[in-house]
Order: sequence, then C-alpha cells, then structure tokens
Amino acid sequence: MGLLDSEAGKRRLLSVEIPVIERYNEGRDSAYKLRVGRQGTSLVLRYSLKPGHNVYQLETRLVSSYPTVPPETRVLTPLKHCPHLLEGQTLCMWRQGSTRMTSRWDPARFTCVFAIQAAWRWLACYEIWHETGEWPLPEAK
Amino acid sequence: MAQVLQVGAGSGGMPVLDMICRDPRISRVTLIEPDVYKPHNVERHLFPLCAVGEPKAEVAEQWLRERRPDLDVRVMTCDLLDPGSQDAIAAAAASADIGVCAADNEPAKYHFDALMRRHSKPWTLGEVLSGGIGGFVHWFVPGGPCYGCVASHLQRAAPAEKPPAPDYSQPGGAVAETTVPASKAAIQAIASLHALVTLALLADPAGYAPGFTSLLWTLQRVPDVFDEAFRPYRFRVARSADCLICQARPTPTSSEELDVALDQALARLGDA
Repeated sequence: MGLLDSEAGKRRLLSVEIPVIERYNEGRDSAYKLRVGRQGTSLVLRYSLKPGHNVYQLETRLVSSYPTVPPETRVLTPLKHCPHLLEGQTLCMWRQGSTRMTSRWDPARFTCVFAIQAAWRWLACYEIWHETGEWPLPEAK
Repeated sequence: MAQVLQVGAGSGGMPVLDMICRDPRISRVTLIEPDVYKPHNVERHLFPLCAVGEPKAEVAEQWLRERRPDLDVRVMTCDLLDPGSQDAIAAAAASADIGVCAADNEPAKYHFDALMRRHSKPWTLGEVLSGGIGGFVHWFVPGGPCYGCVASHLQRAAPAEKPPAPDYSQPGGAVAETTVPASKAAIQAIASLHALVTLALLADPAGYAPGFTSLLWTLQRVPDVFDEAFRPYRFRVARSADCLICQARPTPTSSEELDVALDQALARLGDA
C-alpha cells in the first residue's frame, strides 16, 4: 500500500513530485536531467551531479511508504570509503529528531528534489573530504 | 449515539478504547488491530496472561462486550495499510463520527490522517514518549491542520532506519524493543488525557477549543529535555499554507484518469 498503488500516493506524485521534477529538468542539459522509472512498488530517479571536480551517477529511490519515509539515495559511481556512507554506497543524509533542519526529513515540506539537492551537498562535502581528510559539515545532532 | 473508528489496541490504545467505550454516547466501535497478544505485552497491557496467543482485536472485542453488552463492536484483524482492506476501512471511516489513532508508527499516522480528512471526520492521536517521560495528545478537525502540519511544526521526522532484522535464533519470539519502554502508569496517564480529549471533541467537534492543537504533558524531569515533571505544554499549530500533505492541488478526479495521467507523466520523464 503506497506510492504507486494507492490513490493518495498517486495524487502526491502527480500534484507534488512530478511538477517539481519537470521544473528541475526544464532548460537543464540533457546529461543532467532526472530520469524516472518504476521498480516494483518504488519509483527510481536516475541522474548525474557535478558538485565540483567530478561527475557522479546517482539513484534516488522513492520507496513504497514515501513521503512518510525519506527517499534513499545511493551513488553508483565508485567512491572511497568515507564518513556518512552506508552499505551499498547509500548516503546517510537524514537523522530523526535532528536539530539541523536540513537533516530532518519533513514530508510536509520536502520533495524528492530536496533529496537531490541534499545529495549534491553530500557530494560537495565528499570532494572536500577527499582533498583534506575533514568532513566540512558538523555531525547532525 | 456515536460511532468510533479506532486504530491500535496496544498498551496505549486499549486503555483509550476502554475509557471511551464506557461512555454511554458510544453505540458502535470499529477497531483495526492486526497484532497477536504476546508474552512481553502482559506487563503493560490490560489483557490477562491467559489471552497470550490470541489476536488483540478479538481479545479487545471480548473485553468490551463484557463491560458494555449493548455496544456494537466490530473488529478488523488487519493492518491499517493493508491494500486488500482499504474498501472496508474506508466504509468504517465514512460511518464513524470520530477517529482515534493509537498507532505507533509514522506511516499509519499519516495514513489515518489522510483517511479522516477524506471523510471529513474529526480524530485524535495519543503518543507516549520513549521511557514514559511524557506524552502528546493531538486533535484534528476537517479544515484544520493535518498531521503533516503538526509533525512539521513539532519538528519531528519519519524514522529513516530500516526495521530490525528478525531474530533467527528465536523464531516467533519477542522482538527486542529499540526504545525504552514506558511504564503502565505512564501509558495510562497519557491514555486518560487522550480519552478526555476524544470525548470532549466528540461532544462538540465544531466548537471544541481547549487552547491547544497538541498537548505535551511531562511525567518526569529529564535533564536537557524536561525541566520539571507534570507540566503541560500547549502547542497551537495553524494549518500550513504550503503543507505538501494537506494542501489540495488539482489532480484528475476519477481513478482511471489519475492512472492515465500518471502513466503519461512517467513515460515523459522516463525519456527526459
């Protein structure tokens, strides 16, 4: 019961998520556009980001219980093992009850594009960590 | 005569159900509860030890019938999010006068909120904080703030963690709790507030104005969390104009049109 098989989920997609994806894609170079596909009960967004030096391929999965449960983002491009990286190169981006607003997934205010912006920020931190050995943002508390 | 739709008859939901159903105005209650009563529930539950192994919904039904033989009790031994039960759940919501949510997970709370808004019914939600240090009672009416507005205002978030893996060394055994359990006394205190708010809201859904949307009642003094025990915090939460959960946006009216529009949009974005 969720995003792709409930009326509420379909309405959320049509009225909130798809319009912001289309706005994100508008005028963007085709190599950096979001591409969307179904995968079982999830919706998968595939895209590229270039936060600084490199281009990374990513995948953001809107799971069946999205938006109540935050999207899961993983980097397909091989990364060095680093802080805030989980199994399967899944990015650690949300912390329940965090005092930092952008680290707390809020289904009433955030869309999947917010998760992509968060991934961009994570990758920018990764490139700085790669150079300096220091993660530039403090731990979410 | 009033009809109640309640989801959840766990240690927090059952005392609420019990207190609400003692009220003679209640003529029918529909309970949605999928779980089986387990040995580790006994410490904090109203049900007796001999009921272990029985579906909680059926034990709750028996409990209510023994105390209110005139009460029409209907139980649904299914998950609130079970796709195959949605028609029956929607029918129960349509005929209810008020909803009571005693679910312990965020997807169920959001789902119940959507259900109640769709049928324009008032509803209440009770939450005991981990360790029984306090708890929340929230109330909702059609046109007011939704659960998304309230949760966003109270700065909470849906859990990102995956559910714990089953314990293969003890199949069917109790699942270890990841939060500190509350005492029965703490659960009962918050359940009593939840029942009071529910009965008052039922009496006058249009005019109910207790001075809060969400009431936080502390039960313990906890350094860096609560300065003192037994202190109420009243939160007045307005409906958020840009809430992505409750703000209506134009979408096709029929489910067939909805499917077609979604298919077309996904095809368009798949080829972006």
